[in-house]
Amino acid sequence: MKNDQAGISTLESILARLMLAGVTLSAISLAAGLALWLAGRHTTRLLDVGLIALLATPMLRVAVSFLEAIRMRDWFFVGATLTVVLLLCASLVLSFRAAGL
Amino acid sequence: MVVLAGAVAGCLGALLGIGGGVFLVPFLQFVVGVPLNVASGVSLMTVIATSSIVSAGSAGRRLVNLRLGMLLQVAASGGGLLGAIFVVKMPDRALFMMFSFVTAVIAILMLSRLDKRNVILDSSIDPGPFGGRFYEDESGREVVYRTRRIPTAMSVSAVAGFVSGSLGIGGGILQVPALNTWCGVPLRAAAATSAVMIGVTAVASAPLYYARGNVSAPMAAAAVLGVLAGSRAGFWFGERARAKWLKLLMAAVLAFVSITYLMKAL
Repeated sequence: MKNDQAGISTLESILARLMLAGVTLSAISLAAGLALWLAGRHTTRLLDVGLIALLATPMLRVAVSFLEAIRMRDWFFVGATLTVVLLLCASLVLSFRAAGL
Repeated sequence: MVVLAGAVAGCLGALLGIGGGVFLVPFLQFVVGVPLNVASGVSLMTVIATSSIVSAGSAGRRLVNLRLGMLLQVAASGGGLLGAIFVVKMPDRALFMMFSFVTAVIAILMLSRLDKRNVILDSSIDPGPFGGRFYEDESGREVVYRTRRIPTAMSVSAVAGFVSGSLGIGGGILQVPALNTWCGVPLRAAAATSAVMIGVTAVASAPLYYARGNVSAPMAAAAVLGVLAGSRAGFWFGERARAKWLKLLMAAVLAFVSITYLMKAL
């Protein structure tokens, strides 16, 4: 448990890059989508891309943490991240059902 | 106007590690005039944006306690999911009342502990499995802390998640003071850890709001872009502000939120 201090730091920087990429992608599509919207082109497609990218970013974060926990054989971390993954899946299933898909 | 409100909310949110939703929800509801569930849905998107940008920016500073965060995340996202499920069945008035009460209690707790410090200056001490160490500017050295009362931290996270999922604010507003006051986590570390967690907590409930059509896309885009700009400023200030002032500011924020929600409930 003590030896993974370095592993945790590496994981943190991987996750940081992932978060930055997700937010950047999202911000670009939201800005473009909002500009189109204000210009009178009332389509929400680009906006939806931005919002879904925003939602996907923390989800990916949890998924990457889970895979990394397995690689590090840190079973406490595996258990915690797996539970969160399952909770997020439950949320998605309920959402698809609420949207009638 | 929504961009500007998002910017202010984002700045305060990043500064305090609470997500800006606590200001954005009342603003959208009373000034812009959208229903509460739309205000919550839009706010949840900004909470995710704040959380993502703060976690990207705080890496390498060792303020974020990933291990503690992951454990508390289990309770927080469970609470968030339940909150989003039950929000459609709950009377607004009861929620506002409860929220007003909780924030008032925490504000008083914060004020009563202004000068307490949770760090151990001897950096050779073992922080334990859920503690941590980081370089503190104020004392100019590496400091160590231990996390106490893990079950309390778990319970608070579950409640915070529930509030986040049902009111659309970042649950950090409950988590940060509780971790700081009851569990011995230094304010900076508590704020940084919480900022990372609230994004995942919000993602446990936000898809439900999105699926129910409660996320107005143009409004969410405006608010998110505002928050992204504002949180940069907040993070910059956070690096330079003293812990005591952060606590005072947070207590003032909590008092304001408490009164706002009490007035909404009556």
